Amino acid sequence: MITRQTTLSANLVAFCRFLRERNYGIGVREESDVLLAIEQLAPYDTPELMQQCMKSVLCRSPRDLLQFDDLYKQYWRELDRAINSKIKEEPEITKSSSSAKKKAPSIQALKNWLYGNKTEETTEVATYSAGSVLSKHELAAFSEEELREIYRIVKLIAQALANRKSRRYTSVKHAAQFDMRSTLRRNMRRGGEILHPAYRKRKKQDVSVVLICDVSKSMDLYSRFLIRFLYAFQNSYKKINSFVFSTSLYAIKKDLLDKSIDDALQRLMDTVPDWSGGTRIGASLDTFCTHYAHKMLVGNTIVVILSDGWDTGEADVLERSMRHIHRKATQVVWLNPLAGSAEWTPEVLGMKTAMPYIDVFAPAFDVESLRAVVERLRG
Amino acid sequence: MRKALKEIENMLTAQGYISEPSIVMSIHLAKTLSRPLLVEGPAGVGKTEIAKVMAKALDTDLIRLQCYEGLDASQALYEWNYQRQLLYLKMDEQGSGSLSDKEATIFSDRFLLKRPLLQAITHHKSPVLLIDEVDRADEEFESFLLEVLSDWQISIPEIGTISATHIPQVVITSNRVRELSEALRRRCFYLWIDYPTFDKELQIVRAKVPDIDAKLGEQICKFMAAVRQMKLDKVPGVAETLDWAMALSALHIDQLDKKIVEETLGIVLKDWQDIRQTQNALSDLFEQVGVTSKLA
Repeated sequence: MITRQTTLSANLVAFCRFLRERNYGIGVREESDVLLAIEQLAPYDTPELMQQCMKSVLCRSPRDLLQFDDLYKQYWRELDRAINSKIKEEPEITKSSSSAKKKAPSIQALKNWLYGNKTEETTEVATYSAGSVLSKHELAAFSEEELREIYRIVKLIAQALANRKSRRYTSVKHAAQFDMRSTLRRNMRRGGEILHPAYRKRKKQDVSVVLICDVSKSMDLYSRFLIRFLYAFQNSYKKINSFVFSTSLYAIKKDLLDKSIDDALQRLMDTVPDWSGGTRIGASLDTFCTHYAHKMLVGNTIVVILSDGWDTGEADVLERSMRHIHRKATQVVWLNPLAGSAEWTPEVLGMKTAMPYIDVFAPAFDVESLRAVVERLRG
Repeated sequence: MRKALKEIENMLTAQGYISEPSIVMSIHLAKTLSRPLLVEGPAGVGKTEIAKVMAKALDTDLIRLQCYEGLDASQALYEWNYQRQLLYLKMDEQGSGSLSDKEATIFSDRFLLKRPLLQAITHHKSPVLLIDEVDRADEEFESFLLEVLSDWQISIPEIGTISATHIPQVVITSNRVRELSEALRRRCFYLWIDYPTFDKELQIVRAKVPDIDAKLGEQICKFMAAVRQMKLDKVPGVAETLDWAMALSALHIDQLDKKIVEETLGIVLKDWQDIRQTQNALSDLFEQVGVTSKLA
């Protein structure tokens, strides 16, 4: 809430807090920076100069810059109003943010929604995707041969990932690239006569993968195929974590590992109660961000999301989680089964929201399209 | 305050750099609060140029670290001159010095190759350190950079810790190939440079190509502004505008026409698809720019 502060510095700190609430990365350090900068540059001839000065100190990204001027105006306007009326009325902004909080579904509400009343939205979702592509790809049925092809491709991806060379070096015993630095060090102890050369080679890059697969109703047609993809991937590459979601997120690494595909499918059906349910991409990714991201999105990680982007949740939750994932992961790959058809455009709100945070976007509905993905991951 | 800003603006203008308030303010703040300046923006808008101009304006040296994938400490900090060390050892084979003497000699300043970061902190006077295209280096390098940028000291196992005699003025540029870490962003002041407005671009052209025909300069800038509105793969920057202006001026051309544009489009656009797309839209572009095509 914006209240009147009597000193300039208190006002500036309050403004910093105001920005922090709006996702600006501002801490104590930035607050002291602003005070320092303002002090350094005084006296101010025009208010614009002060605004420019604060903008230069407090913004850290193009997004920050874009919103700054409006927020700046908004803040001082609110402040003026607070001073003029001298009533402790709740300013509009805080009101809306608190009501937004109230709107966020509690776990109980989510569960109700999940198990009890299936809303119209869910049915809508189902008709949408089924109607648009059913005739094109009959994916539910898989021949033995195609399954084997999936395994082969997944193995290729796993290999490509495992063999990625890092740009850094590690020392090796056998003859490889000559390592001058350690050769000299090693031979100095023998009086400087070079007798024992040391070698080095490129390190292997440690790439881990997080797979997040949509198994909601709208993905029904593809999810069987995609689950096989997940199963094959999980069993052929070590550093991988698989998740599925429809209305909430489930970690399924354990269910897929070291079991026959039939057992794995059975286990999945038990683990995931809302299979073929509604879609809450935002909420599910948010769960991922809060519970798993800090453990899994470290080092070199590729996040692969398999979904049609048909979301019934709130767009801002999705955007926030996608931004978080994009920032933490090395690469964000979104595989969309619907994107295969020529007339497809990212019209769906969920997809539109997520688009700016995706590095590789590709269709994935059959074996052929997966192969194309392999090529792109290699690069 | 305005005086201080005006001074910087004048310094920049004197070096032929046409600035805008946000650039002047950022440079001023980075200088007075001695913070690194992180400059982002599309390719060819003069990000690197800022560092060069700053060095000239502050009358100091520019030390440049060009980042690339796989850049590591030995290329950024220091490396021992191994060939020289080996030669020295060989020549000194019959020497009577003890082993520790020998070691002290070959791991001394004489055999040290200073790379940009070490150069910058040992420089005799505070230089401008340009860390160019930091997004091309990997994240490990970025974290390493954080350490150097906050402590201003470098440890060399054989010699010890070297602390900065003068803290350099750092300019970091990024083309946003990869999102930079929050930690690095928070250590820097941030500056976003976009494609210039028509007026600014015209000023730049006039400053850099002084003998250009006034009308041609205007036409070029209008044309460039229109081209940037098209959805091209590689949007041309100011660098391309200047190249084009210089080329046309060297050809003693005083007005754009269809034939000339078609013949010289390769200076502006570097992608075949883009060139074709632009050629197809040339009449529209000319209409926007207000050029009457001779051939039409």
